[in-house]
Amino acid sequence: MTTTDQRQVDMMLNLGPQHPATHGVFRMLLTLDGERIVDMEPHIGYLHRGSEKLCENESYGQIVTLFDRMDYIANLNNELVFVRAVERLMGLEVPERAQFIRVLLCELNRVASHLLFLGTYGLDVGAMTPVMYTFRERERIQNIFESVTGARLMHNYIRIGGIKEDVPSDFTARVRAALEFVKRGVDETDRLLSFNEVFLLRTKGVGVIDAKTAVSCGLTGPNLRASGVPYDVRKDNPYEVYPYLTFKVPVGERGDCWDRYYMRVLECHESISMIEQCLDLLPDGPTMTQTRRIARPPKGEVYVHAENPRGDIGVFLVSDGSDKPYRLKVRPPSFCNLVALRPMLLNSYVADSIAILGSIDIVLGEVDR
Amino acid sequence: MIAGLKGFLTTIRWVFKRPVTANYPEEHLPVQPRYMGFPALLWDTTADEPFCTGCMVCVRECPTQCMSARMHDNPNFAAGTSHRRKIIEHFEINYNRCILCGICVDVCAFDAIEMTHEHELASYARNGARADLPILLSQGRRWMERSGWRPRNPEKNVAGVALAKRAPATAATKLDTGSGKAPSREDDA
Amino acid sequence: MSVTLLDIVWAAVGAVALVTAVSILGVSLVWLERKFLGRLQGRPGPNRVGPFGLLQPVADGIKLLWKEDVSPGPSAKVLFYVAPLLVFVPSFVVWLTIPFTRDLALRNLDTSVFFFVAFSTLSIVGVLLAGWSAASKYSVLGGFRAAAQLVSYEIPLIVIAITMVALAGSMSFVDIVEAQRTVPYIALVPLAAVLFFIAGLAEIGRTPFDIYLAESEVVGGPLVEYSGAHWAVFYLAEYGNTFLVGALTALLFLGGWSWPFGTLPAPAAVALFLTKSYFVTVLIFWVRGTYPRLRIDQMMSLGWKILIPLSFVTLVTVVVQRFYGWPSWTLTLMSLATLALAAWLQTRLQGAPARALAEKYRRDAVVVQAKPRLHREAPAAAKVEASS
Repeated sequence: MTTTDQRQVDMMLNLGPQHPATHGVFRMLLTLDGERIVDMEPHIGYLHRGSEKLCENESYGQIVTLFDRMDYIANLNNELVFVRAVERLMGLEVPERAQFIRVLLCELNRVASHLLFLGTYGLDVGAMTPVMYTFRERERIQNIFESVTGARLMHNYIRIGGIKEDVPSDFTARVRAALEFVKRGVDETDRLLSFNEVFLLRTKGVGVIDAKTAVSCGLTGPNLRASGVPYDVRKDNPYEVYPYLTFKVPVGERGDCWDRYYMRVLECHESISMIEQCLDLLPDGPTMTQTRRIARPPKGEVYVHAENPRGDIGVFLVSDGSDKPYRLKVRPPSFCNLVALRPMLLNSYVADSIAILGSIDIVLGEVDR
Repeated sequence: MIAGLKGFLTTIRWVFKRPVTANYPEEHLPVQPRYMGFPALLWDTTADEPFCTGCMVCVRECPTQCMSARMHDNPNFAAGTSHRRKIIEHFEINYNRCILCGICVDVCAFDAIEMTHEHELASYARNGARADLPILLSQGRRWMERSGWRPRNPEKNVAGVALAKRAPATAATKLDTGSGKAPSREDDA
Repeated sequence: MSVTLLDIVWAAVGAVALVTAVSILGVSLVWLERKFLGRLQGRPGPNRVGPFGLLQPVADGIKLLWKEDVSPGPSAKVLFYVAPLLVFVPSFVVWLTIPFTRDLALRNLDTSVFFFVAFSTLSIVGVLLAGWSAASKYSVLGGFRAAAQLVSYEIPLIVIAITMVALAGSMSFVDIVEAQRTVPYIALVPLAAVLFFIAGLAEIGRTPFDIYLAESEVVGGPLVEYSGAHWAVFYLAEYGNTFLVGALTALLFLGGWSWPFGTLPAPAAVALFLTKSYFVTVLIFWVRGTYPRLRIDQMMSLGWKILIPLSFVTLVTVVVQRFYGWPSWTLTLMSLATLALAAWLQTRLQGAPARALAEKYRRDAVVVQAKPRLHREAPAAAKVEASS
C-alpha cells in the first residue's frame, strides 16, 4: 500500500463577479487555507464604461449626466465636484443661494448614501431587517430629490454656474419633515444593529487597518477617519458654503469594521445638523450665473476635490478651450479605498471578506467608471 | 444581551404598524410635479401644428443620441396661418436610450419639447420602445391638458401671437396663449 | 410477534398521513415566515396568491416542481440526487414518535427522546454529501461548515434533552409532558430552555446560525447547485425541522398539550400543542428578523466554550437536585442566576466597552466652527473657491 499524499493544497475561491454580496460586479480571487484567507487578488473592470474617455467626446453640459452615473449612490456630490472644476476653470462666481442649495442637497445625498450603507452592511453580516428600515427612510430623501430635481437618482441638477432651477416653494417644510423621519430611521438602525452582540462579534477587531497603512493606501473618507486620521475635505479644504456651517468630524481610533460602520452612523447625524443649518441660512437671490449656454472654459488645467460619502473625490480637467474637455481624470474614492482591501483581508476568514468589503462601502460604478 | 432585546422590541413594533409598502399595480404613488418622465412634443393649437421646427438642437445636444429628426417646408407658412418656415416631418425617440436628463428641454428655443410625466411605457413589442412623431405629439397633448402647460416665450413661438405681432391688423384677441410669464412647474396638477 | 398484512397497510397509511401532515405544517411555516418577516420589516409580506397570500407556498411549490432539474457537469450524480433524500427522510422519521396529544402519535415509544436523538443526527450525512457531491467550492465550504456546526450543536441539544429526561424520570415524550401538568419545565429550568432553543436554532441552520447556508457568503452552501424539485425537498426538510424544534421546545419546556387547569379534550389539546409550537417557531422567525449571522469560528467557540459547559452544568444541577430532593424553586433560582450571570458578563465584556467607545467617538469628534457670514445681501460677492 502506498502512503497517502499528505501535501496541503490551498483552495482558490472565486468570489464574484456574480456573488450576491460583492456590491455589484467586484471579483475577489481568494486563496483559502480552510476558511482562512492567505491571499487575495482583486479583479475589477466588469462595469467599465469608459466614462473618462467618453467625457472627451461630450460637451461640458452633457458630462454632468456621466458623473451622475459614476457613484450612483451619491449622484449630486459627484455632479458638484465636476461642475466646480469647470467653474474654477472659467472663474465663475456662483450665487450664494445656489451654493447653499447645492450643499444642502449634497448633504441630503450623503445621508441617503450612508443610510444605504447601514442597511446593506447589516445584510452583509446577515441581518436582513435593517436594510428595509433604512431604505424606507432613504425613500423620503429620494422623494425630496424628485420634487426638486425631477429625478430620483440621475438628477442632472447641478449645472455649470448654478443649479437647474430654484427649489419648489414647499421645499423647506418638506425637508424638515423628512429629516424627522430620517433621524428616527438612523436611530432605529442604530438601536437594532450597532450594539447587537452578534454584530459586535462580527465587526469588532475585524479588518483592522492602522493609520499609517491607511494613509499609505490612499484611504479617504469615513474609512480613513475610522483609523484615527481626522482628514475631511470639508474641514481641511472647505468649498462652497461649508465654511459657514458648524459641524463635527467624527474620528475613530481602532480602524476596524465596527469603527468604519459607526463613523457613518455619526456622520448621518452631522449631515442632518448641517442640512438644518443650511435651511436656516438659505439666502434669497438668483440660482444661476448669467453665462453662455455652451460652456467653453479657457485653456488650462485644474484639479478640484471634494468630500463624497465614500471619501475624497478629485477631478482633474484639462481644457483646450473648446466646448469639450481635452482630458478628464477622476480620482474615485471607492477605487482608492479598495487598495486597502488586501491588507485588511489577509489572515481573516471567508465570512470576514464580505464584512470587510461591505465596510469599505464601494460603488462599482465609480471603481470601474 | 440587553442590546439584543432592544433589537427584538425594535422589530416587533413594526408588526403592529401599517406596512409602508404600496401595492404597486393597484396603488400608484403620485409622482412629484417636477418629475421628469419621457420627453414629448407639444402642439401649437393656434396654428394646429407642432411647435417643433426640426432644428436638430436637441438631437445634437442629447448625451445619448436617442433622438432623430427631419424637417420639411411648412405648408401652413405658405398658407399664411403660421410663422414657421420649416416644420417637423419625422421625429423619433428611442426610449431605451433616453436617460431622462432634460437637456433637450433646456436647449430647445421653440418651446417644442417638454419632459412629461409619461412613464410605465413598457410594451411587449420588440420595437416598442421607439416613439415616433404621432405618439410623441399625442403624449404632448395629454401633457398640455393635464398640466396646463404654457409656452415660455409666446411672442416668439406661438404662431397666433407671432403672426399678430407681425400684422396687428389680424388681431389675435381670441387666442388662448397665456401670459408671457415663465411657466412654473409647481402650477401642475 | 408476527407482522401481518394489516400491520403493513396501517404502517403505510400512517406514513402517508404523517408525511402529509408534516408537509402541510412545513408549508404553513413558509407562509408564516414570509408574512411575519414582512411585517417585522414594515412590508405587507405575500399578499397576492389567495387571501392574505395564503396560497403563496403552493404557488412556490408548483413553480419549483416545474423548474428544470439541473445538476452540475462534474457532480457525482448518484450522491447528488440521493443527498436530498438523506436530509428529507430523517427529518420526517423523527416525527414518528412526536405525540400531538397523549394518544395521538404514530408510535408511542417509551424511548421516544432517544429515538429523536438517534434520527436527528442522521441528516448531517445528507448535508455533507450534498455539499461534496455538487463539485462546487461554495457547496464544499458550506458542507464542511454544516458538518462542523451540526455535530457540535448536537451535544448541547442532547445533553439538555437528557436533562429533561432526568427531570421527568422518563424517556417518553408523553411522560415528560404529563410531568409538566402543573408547572411547565421552562419555569423550573429557564436556562435549559434558552440553551435548547439556541442549540435548536443551530441544528436547523437558522439565523444567527445560518452559517452553512449564508447567502451573503457561501450563497446557500450545500444547496447552491440544487434546483427545482430537489431544492424543494431540502426546503421542505428545513421547514419540517424548524417546526420540529418548535414542537420539541413545546413538549420539553412548555408543557405540550397540557395546561394547569385540568385535562383538555383531545382536539383542544392538539390545538394547544400546535399553538405552543407555532409560538416557538414565530420566535425563531423573530430572531431571524433581528439578528445578524455569526462567523464559523465564533459559532464553534460559542458552542464548545459556552453552550456545552452550561448544558452540563444544568444536567448536574438537575441530577443533584433530584438526588437530594431539594425543593424545585432552588432549581429555578440556580438557573436564573446562571442566566443573569451570562447576561451580565456579556454586557460587561462586550456591550459596555462598545457603548463607551461610541460615546467617546461622539464626544471627541473634531469640531469645525462656522465663520460668520458677511455680505448677506450681496450674493455675487460671496466667495469664489476657498481652496487653492
